[in-house]
Amino acid sequence: MTPRATKRLATNAALTLGAALLLIWSLGPIYWSLVASLTPPNALISDNLHLWPVTPTWEHYAKLFGATSTSQGNQVQSVWPQFRAALLNSIITSLAATIVTVAIAAVGAWAFVRLKFPGRDALFIAVVATLAVPGFTVLIPLYRLMIAAGLIDTYTGVTLIYVSAFLPLALWLMRSVYQAMPLSLEEAAWIDGASKFYTLLRIVLPLAGPGLVACAILTFLSAWGQFMIPLVFSPSLATKPLTVLIPEFVTRNYVDYGLMNAAGIIAIVPPIILVLFLNRFLVQGLMAGASK
Amino acid sequence: MHTLASRLRLTRDGRLGLLLVLPVILIMGGLVFFPLIASLIESFFRVEPMKPGSPFVGIKNYVTVMTDRTVLAAWGTTAVYVILAVVIETGGGLMAALLLNRITIGRRWLLAAVVLPWCLPPVINAIIWGWIFNPSYGLMNGLLQATGLTSGNHVWFNDRGTGLVLISLVHAWRMMPLTVIILLAALQSIPKELYEAAKLDGATALQSLRQITLPLIAPGLAIALSQSTVFAINLFDEAWILNGASTDTRSITIQTYISAFQNLKLSVGMALSLLIMVASLAVSAIYVLRVYRETRFE
Repeated sequence: MTPRATKRLATNAALTLGAALLLIWSLGPIYWSLVASLTPPNALISDNLHLWPVTPTWEHYAKLFGATSTSQGNQVQSVWPQFRAALLNSIITSLAATIVTVAIAAVGAWAFVRLKFPGRDALFIAVVATLAVPGFTVLIPLYRLMIAAGLIDTYTGVTLIYVSAFLPLALWLMRSVYQAMPLSLEEAAWIDGASKFYTLLRIVLPLAGPGLVACAILTFLSAWGQFMIPLVFSPSLATKPLTVLIPEFVTRNYVDYGLMNAAGIIAIVPPIILVLFLNRFLVQGLMAGASK
Repeated sequence: MHTLASRLRLTRDGRLGLLLVLPVILIMGGLVFFPLIASLIESFFRVEPMKPGSPFVGIKNYVTVMTDRTVLAAWGTTAVYVILAVVIETGGGLMAALLLNRITIGRRWLLAAVVLPWCLPPVINAIIWGWIFNPSYGLMNGLLQATGLTSGNHVWFNDRGTGLVLISLVHAWRMMPLTVIILLAALQSIPKELYEAAKLDGATALQSLRQITLPLIAPGLAIALSQSTVFAINLFDEAWILNGASTDTRSITIQTYISAFQNLKLSVGMALSLLIMVASLAVSAIYVLRVYRETRFE
């Protein structure tokens, strides 16, 4: 073998090893949680370490979704009503926040790019500057504001707070999408007598499709994973999402690790689906969002 | 005639523009800027639902959060998180980005796997890792014992140092993908010819990395560093799920939550959260300015 071929082989081996390590680091913990969710309770607390479920069981999932439930041989109250409520709350608040945020950002960012109006640049800078403001800073006065408005523990209240938290990034993203779009298409439509708003709806928005998808994914993931906002603003199952409910499984006198891992796996299914099918948009969106 | 028409068109544009950004103004004004100003004002008053009235107290709340021993300890804890998280994310992220930049086969799928931890709810990440760190049945003790490195079960969070490292690790696991993506974008913008020219001049791979790659990705590195730092300053979910309110691992944001929503000292919480904001903004500004200066002189 020539020295050159040896070197290439060594490089390839190093790259493969690196890729394998990166895969284990990224996916290993998730795999381990999946294994726990499929392992029977007595095997979970055995001393023998198995890297795969030896006797796989749906038991923990059945407990989550079942009308009745047993724990350590005793009939206990089913967690399904709580779990169902939290799952629905997560879906409703995340979807609502995504739709509202993307709609406002899609229209607003275009106005920031294509229309001249008083205070335009100052407003945009002020809004984007809030990206550097920790969400925390406004949480306390917001809490009092929401109590005064009677919006604590309502879908409207939680959605509004999500929108205010995720709108700056969405506006920033959509502005970069519109800036990259050639003006000539819009100008052609204006010359043909189309109004600016009509042009936005019929020509600009369809072309901005990938940007809108990226924007929607980022907003949905942020809303789906939120913990601190619902911890404060969703005290009851009326709006409490999975992220707040699942950790509460720990605080019972008996910690059911299988149940926690099964619930965790259910909660990460939507993000995993998004990454599998829409990763291209997500990465583009992150890259655009990061290039401040 | 022409100027009049164009001016009329401009005002019509202006009106349409204002109309289209009205939702932005209402939501950001009502739910971000108004509370921010309210926070600033009320941090100089005593706002505690359990006590009647809210008298003006000057900078007393700020003095409290800068002298109280628990709060000071929380600042220290957050500083440790920032250092550990930034080191892990930047070091690991740079290596991963360099690797991804070299890999051609299956890069799309590898990138999807790398991005995944960032996409998951931080709370669930912490639960997944909490199970790995479990003292009795966790993978970490299991692996360490199977390989004969340790004997007996370690209760990892009994030791403050270990607890801080593990929480930083879980946080870095989630945030590293952002660093990877930012750095990968920067790496891909470097022209290939530079490396070819360096190779012709006889430069080694390490020299190329130091003389070409690192200077050219410096702006990306600065963005990645400032993102890592700001997110680490605001670390909450991981520490809260893995070790609760324990003072050993209590970050400054957990301290704010406890002051405001458990001890119901709202104005103390506001003063604290404003200081966190100032810290975040200052850190971002330092990175941006440094990079700006360095790239200008080159």
